[in-house]
Amino acid sequence: MTTQETATAPPQRPEPEPRGAIARWAADLAMGARFAVTGGRESWARTIMTAVGVGLGVALLLFAASAPNAYSLRDDRGAARSTYDTVPNTEVAAGPDTLRVADANTTFRSEDIEGKVLAPDGNHPPRPPGVDRVPAPGEMWVSPALKKLLADNELLRERLPYRVVGTIADSGLSGPADLRYYAGVDGAAFRNDAGYRIDHWGTPPSTKELNPGILLVVIIGCVVLLLPVLIFIATAARFGGERRDRRLAALRLVGADSRMTRRVAAGESLVGSLLGLLTGGALFLGLRELASTVVLDDISFFASDIRPSVPLMLLIALVVPSSAVLVTLAALRGIAIEPLGVVRNAKPRRRRLWWRLLLPVLGIGLLVPLAGGYGATSRSSDLEGYQAAAGAVLLLIGLTAMLPWLVEAVVERFSKGPVPWQLATRRLQLSSGTAARAVSGITVAVAGAIALQMLFASVQSNETKSTGQDPGRAQMGASVRVDNGAQANAAFAKYRATKGVRQVLGTTSGSVGEAHPNKKVDGEAPVETVTVGDCATLREMANLSRCSDGDVFVATSNAYPADEPSFLKPGVQVNLRLDKDGYPVTKNPRLWTVPRSAKTVTTKPDAAGFESPGVLATPGALDVSRLTDPTAQVLLRLDPKVPDAIEYARNTSAALSPTTDSYTLVSTSKSNQFTMLRKGLFIGATATLVLIGASMIVSMLEQLRDRKRLLSVLVAFGTRRATLSWSVLWQTAVPVILGLALSTAGGLALGTMLLKMVNGPWAVDWSSLTLMNGVGAGVILLVTLVSLPPLWRMMRPEGLRTE
Amino acid sequence: MTPAGSLLTADGLHKAYGPTPALDGADFSIHPGEVVAVMGPSGSGKSTLLHCLAGIVTPDAGSVHYGGRDLSAMSDAERSTLRRGEFGFVFQFGQLVPELNCVENVALPLRLNGVKRKEAEARALSWLERLEVADVRDKRPGEVSGGQGQRVAVARSLVTNPRVLFADEPTGALDSLNGERVMELLTEAARETRAAVVLVTHEARVAAYSDREVVVRDGKARDMAGVR
Repeated sequence: MTTQETATAPPQRPEPEPRGAIARWAADLAMGARFAVTGGRESWARTIMTAVGVGLGVALLLFAASAPNAYSLRDDRGAARSTYDTVPNTEVAAGPDTLRVADANTTFRSEDIEGKVLAPDGNHPPRPPGVDRVPAPGEMWVSPALKKLLADNELLRERLPYRVVGTIADSGLSGPADLRYYAGVDGAAFRNDAGYRIDHWGTPPSTKELNPGILLVVIIGCVVLLLPVLIFIATAARFGGERRDRRLAALRLVGADSRMTRRVAAGESLVGSLLGLLTGGALFLGLRELASTVVLDDISFFASDIRPSVPLMLLIALVVPSSAVLVTLAALRGIAIEPLGVVRNAKPRRRRLWWRLLLPVLGIGLLVPLAGGYGATSRSSDLEGYQAAAGAVLLLIGLTAMLPWLVEAVVERFSKGPVPWQLATRRLQLSSGTAARAVSGITVAVAGAIALQMLFASVQSNETKSTGQDPGRAQMGASVRVDNGAQANAAFAKYRATKGVRQVLGTTSGSVGEAHPNKKVDGEAPVETVTVGDCATLREMANLSRCSDGDVFVATSNAYPADEPSFLKPGVQVNLRLDKDGYPVTKNPRLWTVPRSAKTVTTKPDAAGFESPGVLATPGALDVSRLTDPTAQVLLRLDPKVPDAIEYARNTSAALSPTTDSYTLVSTSKSNQFTMLRKGLFIGATATLVLIGASMIVSMLEQLRDRKRLLSVLVAFGTRRATLSWSVLWQTAVPVILGLALSTAGGLALGTMLLKMVNGPWAVDWSSLTLMNGVGAGVILLVTLVSLPPLWRMMRPEGLRTE
Repeated sequence: MTPAGSLLTADGLHKAYGPTPALDGADFSIHPGEVVAVMGPSGSGKSTLLHCLAGIVTPDAGSVHYGGRDLSAMSDAERSTLRRGEFGFVFQFGQLVPELNCVENVALPLRLNGVKRKEAEARALSWLERLEVADVRDKRPGEVSGGQGQRVAVARSLVTNPRVLFADEPTGALDSLNGERVMELLTEAARETRAAVVLVTHEARVAAYSDREVVVRDGKARDMAGVR
């Protein structure tokens, strides 16, 4: 009986084991993680959406985190091949392990090519980085990019006529697009003190500091680019949230309490974000190969350079999953998941403005004290940098926080209008937060970009300098190293014979001293310059009323008045022979008398912006062969109708000597740092906007999928495609337009503040402001266009089927 | 064969979803002001018949004529126009737009037809009153009961004074009391406006409100007029 009773008795109900808080958390998170991957197609779809979204954000963060490393590695390689030692005046004595080096840089169709000509003194010269051996005369090592350029351009091959004997390895290059060569020459190329001697390559890396204005741009730029990425990651963590909530309701039905469901939801998000980390890592590895093909301002990076530092990587790995969990928990605050379904507050609590306003006010509070004094002292700039960054972050986050309030406040007022407008605005009235969240990334990016553009406009005026050159008068200049006047004349003749050269303004200059100088005291003696050129050339250099061959002029400069009266006067005798130190040689002097008829004239800047006071003589008055160590300068007028005229002229320069310094005349020059920052920020902002557009598309598709049946019903009673398409457009456009309006106001405020900090004049770059708003409009259109095909697909009557 | 005086007729309708046939030569006709119940077990093809009759779905074969016009010869836009003006619809679930309040939901078909908002909402309100749900006019669908929501849906289906009303399990989600009241109001209103009603149901007590029953089984429709 007892045995039978035992056999038929119902099994005892298992008693729940008491568990600690951590164990409960872990168990619930694990359950959520299981749901993320074992809930069938729908779970996978949600997990994949989150993973892809988070992955895109993580990839961008990894790129941003790689930037410091990439620049540092690039700089290190640059320093390793530098020949300018820290003590530039130290002369290296020739020996078996020394090398003569001269810069032989050139430009080919706006591509700058860095080159050096080398001539070993002995058998063991130091090798440049990335090169197996020092090239013999007539040989050349080239970078892969230059090899390709040479292969494609006959004109360039004429300029660099050396035989390519090897390719410079990555260790000797800045990046894959680096155009670089090392050519071997004989010692003759080093005439007239061209080049220098080295016994090793490399100098310690430079520790050049950015100027405070540019540093400020960098700080704000990072905030502007990274904040939207974080917002995007937070949005991605909510992908598929509504469906998940319905699933959680089923858990409530079988006894889970509300806290447990939140933890389960967090677990589900965690898996998505962890997969997102992996996706982001994979995307990063794939995209960095692509990034190595991008060239910006002649700057490129090897894929291997693009690697984030370990602490930053760890930070990303930690922050992304934890923020996904926090975002999920925060999102569930306004929702009651009940056993019979999800209850969203039909009338959500009205958003409060006060704390949203507090953030930008605090930001402004941090920025205002910096007005006028930012970067005044280098010691304070670190602290001020943090203060500026904190202020900008608070202001931008404040804008983000204000957007949901603004969207809610504005759409609440919409009640009239056509059906698509009504459908869109009513949808926004019900869930303005979702729309505002997606758009908030754009708000930060656009506000930041507008502010930065204002700062750019100001910094640009400081960083853009007038060169004093006049490209209207001559387009190219060159300093030709010559041993004597005959060589100078020969060089001018070669330029004259060059295709595309209309006029050569050539001068040969030398130094002159007094015919009877006082005794040599401290090696100092007054020296003046004598410049020989034809009348056309001299007219470019001084205000001459009349000039014919045989004339001489004594030119003084109003712009650069001499400290002491010059010994140069009409009728004075001068010595054309000077020693190495520039002192007139009194034994066997080479005397020449400035004609009494010489007129005194004033100089004017030539096309290159230089003034040449001293004696100006025509060839008939002074034979250039009498000058000691003359230098030849040419300014060339090129024929605009001849394509590549400048390239032919550069080829002539290179043929005269690879070390000839040729230059293009430009009226202004810009800071390279600035141009790079601007382009970098533009690329970053574009990537951010694309990301945000992607998240908006996902949100819209998700919303459409949830409303599949409703869409079918609307079709059943004859709703036009256009009606719903316009509704989708308005639904995207209203928050984006409000976001753009807010960000324009915020951006102008932040920009004004930044300009006050750097004491820049207030100016708005309206074109960039329009461009930014245009990009915003582009995002609206993109989201709408991408949403239309699935919308139309879902408007098919199949959605009405229930079986 | 088209029965004389029919408003809407279907001849030899065939429709398959992939390999599964839903209709296999179904015929149907309805006269103005007539209430016809389409009955049959789950999956028999009754909803597909309704969708074909309403021009929502194009049959694979066979024809549907409304007022002498062949629906299959009409473009999608023409059929949409027809549905907006001449037909009304009531479904079992998910038919009200959650963002719009009840009066706006009812006014929606009128507004899609170009009627001005004020006028549309005034007419919508009169239908809400008639269906005894005027008190929920400003509430959103999520804030009203199932029965109230279904009455709002009926009001919406009638607001354009349709000549044919298609109701697919209109009381399927309601308790019997609410279901009966909805059916009373629906059929009363339809008869007053002389709208024909195609009523898809599997419940006999709902079918009892009809003038005639058509049973769909294995994709074929059988008129039960003579049987009852």
